[in-house]
Amino acid sequence: MNGPQFAMTAFVVTWLTASLRLAGPVLLAALGETFAEQSGVLNIGIEGTILLGALTSFLVSFYTGMIWPSLLAALLVGIAANMILAWMYVTVRASQVVAGLVFNVLALGVASAVYRKALGNSAVPESIAMFQPLHIPFLGNLPVIGPVLFGQTILFYLTIALAFVAHFVLFRTNFGLALRASGENPAAADSAGISVYRMRYAGTLISGAAAGMAGGYLVLAQVGLFRESIVSGQGFIALGIVIFGRWNPLKATVAAMVFGACDALQLSLQIFGTHVPPQLLLALPYIVTILAISGLFGGKAVQPAALMAPYIKD
Amino acid sequence: MAKLFERRLTPSDSPIAIFATTAAAFLTAMLVTAFLFLSYGASPFQAYFALFHEPFGTLRGFGYSLVRTSPLALIALGTIVSWRSGFSYLGFEGCFVIGASATAWLALLTAPGARIGPIPFFLFLPLAIFVGFVAAGLWAGLVGFVRARLGGNEVLISLMSNYVAIFILQYLVSGPMRAPGSLPETRILPRATWLPFILPGTRAHAGILIAIAAAALVWMLLEKMPLGYELIVTGFNAAAARYAGIDVGRRIMLAAFFAGGLGGLAGMVEELGSQHRLMDGINGGVGFVGIVVALLARLNPVAVIPTALLYGGMSVGADAMQRRASIPSSITFILQSLAVLLVLAFDALRYYKINFSVFSRGAPPTATEEASK
Repeated sequence: MNGPQFAMTAFVVTWLTASLRLAGPVLLAALGETFAEQSGVLNIGIEGTILLGALTSFLVSFYTGMIWPSLLAALLVGIAANMILAWMYVTVRASQVVAGLVFNVLALGVASAVYRKALGNSAVPESIAMFQPLHIPFLGNLPVIGPVLFGQTILFYLTIALAFVAHFVLFRTNFGLALRASGENPAAADSAGISVYRMRYAGTLISGAAAGMAGGYLVLAQVGLFRESIVSGQGFIALGIVIFGRWNPLKATVAAMVFGACDALQLSLQIFGTHVPPQLLLALPYIVTILAISGLFGGKAVQPAALMAPYIKD
Repeated sequence: MAKLFERRLTPSDSPIAIFATTAAAFLTAMLVTAFLFLSYGASPFQAYFALFHEPFGTLRGFGYSLVRTSPLALIALGTIVSWRSGFSYLGFEGCFVIGASATAWLALLTAPGARIGPIPFFLFLPLAIFVGFVAAGLWAGLVGFVRARLGGNEVLISLMSNYVAIFILQYLVSGPMRAPGSLPETRILPRATWLPFILPGTRAHAGILIAIAAAALVWMLLEKMPLGYELIVTGFNAAAARYAGIDVGRRIMLAAFFAGGLGGLAGMVEELGSQHRLMDGINGGVGFVGIVVALLARLNPVAVIPTALLYGGMSVGADAMQRRASIPSSITFILQSLAVLLVLAFDALRYYKINFSVFSRGAPPTATEEASK
């Protein structure tokens, strides 16, 4: 293999490996959000929930050094925080955009206050226990696809598995049918004996659990420390991925990979030294998401019909 | 038998009921936050004293409060114009950045020896307002176009556009507009382009006057002008508006342009009044707190200035509190957002009415009892 070809292969391998690595947390959050939106709730609060999940898993990992309990704690905090959101969305029937947006400000305040309370202004401890990439024998040694597909952390494979589970639950079970009915035509669902309120609570709490876990994923498998800017819009990107993926978990998986590829391109090009301004590359995933959800490529027709519309049972 | 709390069919919309529920929500938020102060080992009374004394009890602090109020109020006004027109725009962080960048670019052009050269302030100011307004107006108008003509979801697109705007700012201050030196920032803007200071001995600048004028104009637009009426009808019921002959798509794009422009003015005011140079991080969440201010003011332009003053003042007080009592200033984020969430939740209370008559003997039958007879 000659020089340029070797460099090209190295570039592709680092790029694709980073693509899948970066796609993981957003995909996990997007899978949960799909449930919320299919039930008729646009949960913008996942941005704040991811932040709370990230903080929780960081603190638990910092104090106990155990990674699985840290992930579980993030999941539980996600559910608890989204209990409040579900109450606002479903019971109070507040505007979903308003409640979610203000919740994100609240979550930022809580995360930053708790972080300072817990660690004071001491130097940032960087050594928390983290998930390490797996080394799968034989498969991991394959050229190119070995490191790309079989050198990720266990959380990545878990997320991919959850995508299939989510797809099955949404489209092949009674629960999924009831959930989608609540988002499509709540009045009809109600007269068919489905509790729309309960379904929307379920959808919101599932998205909370996934977003909390996504925060844990971010800290425990990617960053290894906590800062207030750790999420920086990844929750919003997950919302875009849900639309890009047409409210379908498997298509969302593909959408998340596309997003991850844009995000990783910036990292790889920087390593290999180019003259493109880094900000343009950093903005790329956001621009791609904007284009994907702009309606240029259709998509309005498959949106849950009652999305963002509070349901009043009379 | 009359009940103490009786459920109404529609929420009471009397000013007293609205004010009472808002006040109750705010007091509850303060009560919750008081426990947070306790957890930091601080006396809630002293903490609240510090939070409100610095911004409203000292001249210097009041000046800083006015500095923080102007951009918040302008962004809140932009929120009101867009949201009441049924356009749920959330991209004010981006508009702020675009407005600030455009203004700084113009101001640097008027530096001695630059492309334009010094011009008198009375000519510069209208030009700066125009440039800041139009640049951010077009930025937001683009989202309006996507929503009106392509049917895209403006909530998510505007959220994403914030990040794109911030990357544009980072590019400008690290590349084309960067001043020689180690930090990615521009030169200091020429002194002649600064907004005049209006309170001797403080940093308060004329931006607050611009904000007050904008509030009056937005009030006039929405309450007194046919165009404002059409915008509000579009927001209430787009189908009815279309039936009445209103070009809904064009109204939405116009609302987006106005809203973005107001967000751009916020950036202009901050740039010319207080920052005096362009650098990364000037936005710092003001685009979202401004939306929160608009919500607490219940999308009413008249209530925006006092509400923005309250929130601007609280952020000044929070910084003082962090310096003196080492309570993290982020606690005010909690207080500010909790207040709005509770206002939303407490709105449910307006469905109930209190029958004081149950306390007197021989209470008259209530309306529902009368009807059921």
